This record gives sequence, C-alpha cells and structure tokens, in this order.
Amino acid sequence: MTKTISRRDFLKLGAAGAGALALGQMLPAKVAQAARAAGHINAEGDGFVHSMCEMCVWRCGLIAKIKDGRVVKLDGNPEHPHSRGNLCPRGQSGLMNTYDPDRVLTPLIRVGKRGEGKFRQASWEEALDLVASKMTEIKNKYGAEAMVFSSTHNLSQPLFENLLYGFGSPNYGTQRSLCFNAMIVANTMTYGMEEPGRIYDDKLKYILLTGRNLLEAISTSETHDLIMAIENGAKVVYLDPRYTKTASKATEWLPIKPGNDLAFHLALLNIIIGEKLYNRSFVEKNTVGFDELKKEVARYTPEWAAPLTGIPAETIIRIAHELAEAAPHALVHNGWRTSNFVNSFHTQRAISIMNALLGNWNKVLVAAAGEESGALGAPPQPAYPRISALRLDGVPWKYPVVPFKIGVFQELRDNIVSGDPYQAHGWFISRQNPIQSLPDRGKTIEAFGKLDFIVTVDIVLNDTAWFSDVVLPEASYLERYDPLLPVGDKVFLRQPVIEPQGEAKSALWIYKQLGERLGLGDYFQYEDEEDYIRQQLKPLGVSLEEVKAQGFAELSSAEGEAEFSWNTPSGKIELFSDTLAKVGFPGVPTWEEPPQPAEGQFYLLTGKIATSTQFGTQNNQLLHKYSEEPRLWMNTKTATDLGLETDDWVEVTSEVGQIHTKLLATQAIRPDCVYMTPGYGHLSKGLKTAYGVGASDSAVHVTYTDPISGGQALSQTFVTVKKA
Amino acid sequence: MTEIKHHAYLFDATRCIDCRACMVACSVENNIEMDKTRLWVAGLGVTGTFPDLQRGTMVYHCMHCEHPDCMSACPVGAYTKAEDGPVTYNPDLCIGCRYCMNACPFGVPHFDYDKGIIDGAFIDKCTFCPQRIYNGEEPACVHTCPTDALEYGDRDELIAKAHERIAAHPDKYIQHVYGEKENGGTSYLIISHVPFKDLGLPELPEEPINEVSEKVMEMTIPFAFGWGTVLSMVAIAAGKHNQKKEAEAEKQAEETK
Repeated sequence: MTKTISRRDFLKLGAAGAGALALGQMLPAKVAQAARAAGHINAEGDGFVHSMCEMCVWRCGLIAKIKDGRVVKLDGNPEHPHSRGNLCPRGQSGLMNTYDPDRVLTPLIRVGKRGEGKFRQASWEEALDLVASKMTEIKNKYGAEAMVFSSTHNLSQPLFENLLYGFGSPNYGTQRSLCFNAMIVANTMTYGMEEPGRIYDDKLKYILLTGRNLLEAISTSETHDLIMAIENGAKVVYLDPRYTKTASKATEWLPIKPGNDLAFHLALLNIIIGEKLYNRSFVEKNTVGFDELKKEVARYTPEWAAPLTGIPAETIIRIAHELAEAAPHALVHNGWRTSNFVNSFHTQRAISIMNALLGNWNKVLVAAAGEESGALGAPPQPAYPRISALRLDGVPWKYPVVPFKIGVFQELRDNIVSGDPYQAHGWFISRQNPIQSLPDRGKTIEAFGKLDFIVTVDIVLNDTAWFSDVVLPEASYLERYDPLLPVGDKVFLRQPVIEPQGEAKSALWIYKQLGERLGLGDYFQYEDEEDYIRQQLKPLGVSLEEVKAQGFAELSSAEGEAEFSWNTPSGKIELFSDTLAKVGFPGVPTWEEPPQPAEGQFYLLTGKIATSTQFGTQNNQLLHKYSEEPRLWMNTKTATDLGLETDDWVEVTSEVGQIHTKLLATQAIRPDCVYMTPGYGHLSKGLKTAYGVGASDSAVHVTYTDPISGGQALSQTFVTVKKA
Repeated sequence: MTEIKHHAYLFDATRCIDCRACMVACSVENNIEMDKTRLWVAGLGVTGTFPDLQRGTMVYHCMHCEHPDCMSACPVGAYTKAEDGPVTYNPDLCIGCRYCMNACPFGVPHFDYDKGIIDGAFIDKCTFCPQRIYNGEEPACVHTCPTDALEYGDRDELIAKAHERIAAHPDKYIQHVYGEKENGGTSYLIISHVPFKDLGLPELPEEPINEVSEKVMEMTIPFAFGWGTVLSMVAIAAGKHNQKKEAEAEKQAEETK
C-alpha cells in the first residue's frame, strides 16, 4: 500500500527521541483524594472524573478514565459545547504531558551558568523564600516596575494579575501580540468586543476563510462545524499561500500573495458598496461612518487588487456577488492567528466591516461575552495600588488603542534590551515560553542577560525554564483545580483527576504562597483551591460536590431578545472609528503596501499542525510519535531550479538568524514562499523527546510590529535558502 | 444506539482531516508501545501541479474481513472471525510463522521482531476494542474523531448510510462503498472522493481470495485420487502395451529363428 506514513517512516519517527515505553509502564501517581471522596473513584482506584482539557486554549470538556489510581484514557465530554464528546490528537495525548518522564517535580534552583541547565532540587519553602526576597530586593532598589510579569490566557489569570498589580508593576506580558492582536483590536474598534461568536447552522451558505486553517489549527467543535457545513453544501472559499488540509476541503482555494489579503478585502468592499449590494436597512440602522468608508474604498477596484493578490479581478467580483447573494447567511471569518503583516489590522477591520455590510448580526455573528461571568462570585480583595510607571511595552504611550490586558510582548522584550524608558531587573514567567514564542530568539536571550533574576513556573524544563534562576513545578492540568470557566449557559470545572506527582502544586497555591510572602495576602483570600471555587459558586447556590460530579453547573440563562447594541463609543457598529482617528490612525480600512522579499528571498510562513500546540507539546511522546518530521516546505519547481531535493539539508537565513533544517519539496505552496512548522528546535536538553528535533522559527523571525494593533507581523520575515 | 448485530466501521475520506486523533486514541486505549501503531495513514496525499491540486488520505487499521485471509493462512488457528464481526488474534496459539502477514491483502498484521518465542504475541493488530464495544462504548478511534470521519455501528446499517450519503452527493463521491463486497466484504467500509487506489487500497475481486484458494485446496484429495487413477490406468495401459510389444518381439524373434 502507498502510505504517507509507512511502517518504516513511522518507526523512524518513533526512534527520533521517544523511548519504547508504553503508558502502562509509567510511574503511577496517587489517585486524587477529592475524586475518591466524591465517590468518582472506587476502593480499587477505578472510576471516571470530569474535567477540562488544557492542551490548547479551546478547553474541551473531558472525562478521564482512572484505573488503579492512574489516568489511563481521556475522552471528550459530550456535555461540553467545545468538545461534544470528541478530543483532537492533542487532547487525546494529554495524559502524556502529565506522565512525561521529563516532568519537573520539585522546585529547582540554578547552580551553573544561565543556560547550562545545572540546577539543584530545593524545597518549596526555600524556593518561594528566595523568589520573594529577590522580588522584594528588586522592588526596593529599582521600584516595582523593574519586575516584569508574563503569563497568557490561563484560567488562573485573575490571580496572576493580583500578583502583578498587587506587587505594583505595570509590566504585563501576554502572548496575544504574537497571535491575534490585529483581530482583537479590529473587533474592539468595530463591535466593541474582542471576538463575536460564530453560528454554524443549516442556513449558513457561504464561508470566506482568510488563512484560518481550521482543519489543522483545530478548535474541536468549530472544526466539526466546518466539515459539516461543507457537507451540507455551504461554499467555502479559502485564502492561503499554502495548500493546507483546509484548502483541500474548501470549495475554492485561492493561493493569495502574502501580505495582500488587505487588497483582496478592500476590493470586496469596493464591489459590495459600489454596486449597492450591502444590507441597506441594517447599515442605516446599526452602523456609523458609512460615507467615510464608501469614499475610501472607491479607489480599491478589483482591477487594482488583481496584480497585488494574484487573484483575477473577475474572481474577486464573483466572490463579492456570491457573498451578497448568500447574505445574511454568509460568514467572513476573522481568522485566528491573524497578525501576519504590519497591515493586518486593516485587513481585520475590513473583514469585521464586511460582516456588518452583509447584515449577518445575530444570524451568523453574535455577541460573545468572553471568559468572565458576572454571575460568579470571587474572594474579597483590596483595590490595586496606584501605578504611575510607564509600561515597557509601549501601551498606551506608543500603542494607544491596544488594551492593557493584551499588550505588545515583543516591544516589552525590546525595551528590556534597550533599558528604555527604564531598566527592568527581574522577570516572573508563568506557563509561558518567551524564548520560543517571541521572534528573534537571540534578542530574547540577550534580554535575559540584562536581568538579575528570572523565575519560571512550568511542568517541564522548557527553553525559558532552562535559562531561569528558579523553576517552580506546577501541577499539570490533570492534577489541579483552576478557577471556573463560563461557556454559554454553563460554568465548567477543572479538577484534579489524579493527585499531583512529586511536589508539583497548582497555580492557585503557588500565587497565594508567593503573595503572602510579598505581603499581598489580602489579594489571595482563600484557604485552598476548593475554597476559592466554593466562593465562586456561592451566588449560584450550587455546591462544589454537585459541580465535581458532572463537571459543570448551570448558569441562570437570561436569554432576552436578540440585541442590536454594541459597546462602542457610538453604541453602533463603527465602520468609521473616531477613536482611531483621534489618535492619528485612519478611521476606515486603508491600503498600506506590505514589504516584499528581495530577489532570491522567500516569504517565511509558519502555521499550525494538528499534532502540536505552539511550542509546548513537542516533548509529548504520543504527539511526537504521530507527527511528521518537521521540514522546510518549498515548491517543487523552485526546489528543482535551486538544485534542491526532499530531505536535503538546507541553510535558512534571515537578517536576525540562521537555521539548518531538512527540505520538503512539495506542490502545496506558492513558489515565492517557504513554510516551517513552528515550535521546534528546542534549546533545552531537559526536553529529551523534543531536543534535537527540527529547527526554531523564532531563531529566524524578524520583529516587526503593527503600529496600530501591536501585533507581531509573523509572515513578514524574508529568508534565503541554500544547500547546507 | 440500536442493537449491533455485526460490528463495523465506516470511514469517509471526504470528512477526514488527517489529524491523527484516532491513532493517538488507539495508542492510549490499548497501551501500545511508543514505537508501534495499529493505525496508519495511507494514500497519495497531495497530487497535481500547483495550483491545481487534490488531496486524498485515509486512515486504516484491520479491515475485519468477512472471510479473513489471515485466518485461512494461519496453520495453528490463532485467528478467529467472530459471528458479530471482529477478527481476533490469540497470542497463546501463535507460533510466529508470519503467514498471516503475507496473506493479508491490506498489510495489516505486523510482526514484532523484538519479541522472542518465549514472550509470545508476535503479531499486533486492531482488536476492535472489545473492552469498549461490549460495554456500550464506541471503539476508541471512532469515539474521538473530531469530524465524524470514522463512524461505528451495525454493518448493514452503515452500508445503507454510506449508500445514502454517496447518492446524496453524486458529484462529490465515487459511487462505490469499498468493503461492501471486496474480498467477500469487510467490516471497515470506506467511501471517498478520490479513487480507492489513490487511498492505497488494493483492487480485490468480490469473491474472497481465501475461498478461491480453499476451493483449490479442497480439490487436493479428489485430485490426488483422480490423478492416481489416471496414472494407474496409464501404468496398466503401458504395461499392457509393453506386454503386447514384448509378445510381438518374442513372436518376431521366434519367426526369425
């Protein structure tokens, strides 16, 4: 049989790093006492516990099967709207993160040079005392703002913020500017919310995806929705320079020239407005700034966009007509990892605006509240101290419209290096890996060199932990409680399905312990994790035991009439944004010419695969087992012209770095692009499965920041490729 | 779920996104070692020339044939075809001869070269998750599939469902349900948008291969007897002929004397 993974290839993959251990041979951990007390686990240590996945941020509901006190299988929870009974490969492999032989199970204190990987084990008392004393020392000497804090999109984030703002530092690093700042800021400016929800129902007729590779960058329920929408006859048009798995299922694939998505969308607006194909009554009633928009897009004709995008004018016109025909049951998808070029903010604004012109509100797009619910309680806490220091990431003094909660992470790193407007001295990092995530890895390591003290909270020695002074071992997502997560009309629980292994502890415990040592105990008024959740549940009148039994609690649903109001300054959908205009940015989407690679250079593209999440899962042996060897994709014809073949070693050079990797010659990419799977090429030898596999995209990514949204332009790096 | 008389799988290549959740799920559920697998990805993958491209892959494991060639080839009866569908393997009987590997038209049974005779269990293949299906659960691979590309149910019902789906989308699907009849039928049924051979599937006659071979083998005894009779008659005839010749020669000799 012809196999894309033959048995031989399979073995090759398996032998690359993983040992021959099967799960059954891993060390047992004690069954969760709470689960036993709740009656989910019988006297023999067997049973089922409901909890929530954390292999990505989609957070599917799961049911863990426990045997002899060990978690032996995870399945999707059919009650959870994000999983509906399914789990993706990452979710399925989640127990291997917990049973990773490379887990850090005691606090570690560095004894060698930074980056040498020499640590000694320490007690929690010693490690926490050390962290607290170093942080206090920095605060006393340089001010609280000299301590940088970063963590991203975790359920324990409110407590992390208590630590950061209670301590008095404005310096908050999140990962979002490396991902979807363009989308979030664009939606906030248009709809007054970060990301409207999407409804995939039987009526949905048309979906336009701009680089949203939903069949590889899996969000379990939405991926399922897309496949079923296709089966039900919805037309899917997909823009991507690569023939991804999503491209292969789409009705129409348009291999657009990178950086020019904006031209495509401006031309769509031009047709929809020019030919009066928009929903007139909706626009008149619910939007502001139509005239300014109309005036601006008049110059963006399909004929103008065609040479920029590589998409014929008649195709653009046809798609505009098809969208209008299908409206309001048409979705122009914002995409997710959307900060690709410095003009991406305008692309996202054009997309958000197009949905408004199609009048699909409450039919396809709906208001989404985000992850906080006013229905939940919380422990009492004092107000934060007043912070007057500037943020190192330029928010808002350089990036006036970027929300504080989001920030501009790469700028934060750059200003640690420059020491401008002041010098940072310490960095507290929780469940985050800036050495791998930020562009220009060399510069991030340089930033580390400027700091007196770095502490990382994680479950393994990721690259950032490897370069840290103290590593605090967190309990994995199957070993701990986290604050509750509201989804729709339910609130979901993450609870330990096994007891933490070794000395690992939950973030709720770590932050509280540290907070108390820093004199911030008032921000952590809970006895333990269960007490925190009980305080959250109090207004609902539901007991923790009930929630533990089924994994969720019902929120009282206050479903009223579908609303047509938005949290913008005008209360309407803002086609023209006065907020943007006031700070000197164009109020409507405007063309900005993207930079192009010089002769002999390629666009360096990155993008997700189904078997990994960013740079945090490459050490998972089960995912490693079923992932293809990461190679640099190059169009077959281009490779032939350069005398290159599949599996040749190549040298990839950008203006900030150079990597060596193997080549994959493929038809599935534009001739002017190369692609690499992000998140490989780890530096930490503490990751025995991942170390030595693939090359690091962050080693070659150049830092370019979108001046409006603060997003890192991840596809704007140009590289040369030659035989190594 | 209705009562399942004959357990079977339906795989829809148009829905499969090659995410490999099924492979991971199987590895965990069945505690498969890290360098082994019971499911594979097959197919040509991306074909064509940029930008006119197509993609076809499938995921497969044991096809649970209605007339398993592994079972016919096994000299010690280590394979069993259950009446309700699953083809199972008994490691206690296996002598490690690898005939099943050569017999299977889908290349499914895999030999474990690391294990000696004492360890037993030379062969590894899909078991149909008996620990799950006989407890009212779907097999692990099916249960987790994020796009319902893999489904589980009664074979007759799945065949009906498959025909219904391909008939509803005639411009999308190849109008054939692979495994309904191939090799006498399999319990892993496949529908696809690309030719089945591009998914790596062999073209097989409807009549099971092993029935053809069994028919031939059944002929051995009659054939042995029959051929024996023919030879005996030849021998007798030849003998008579010789006797006659000898007699004639003797007669001639006598005449020439």
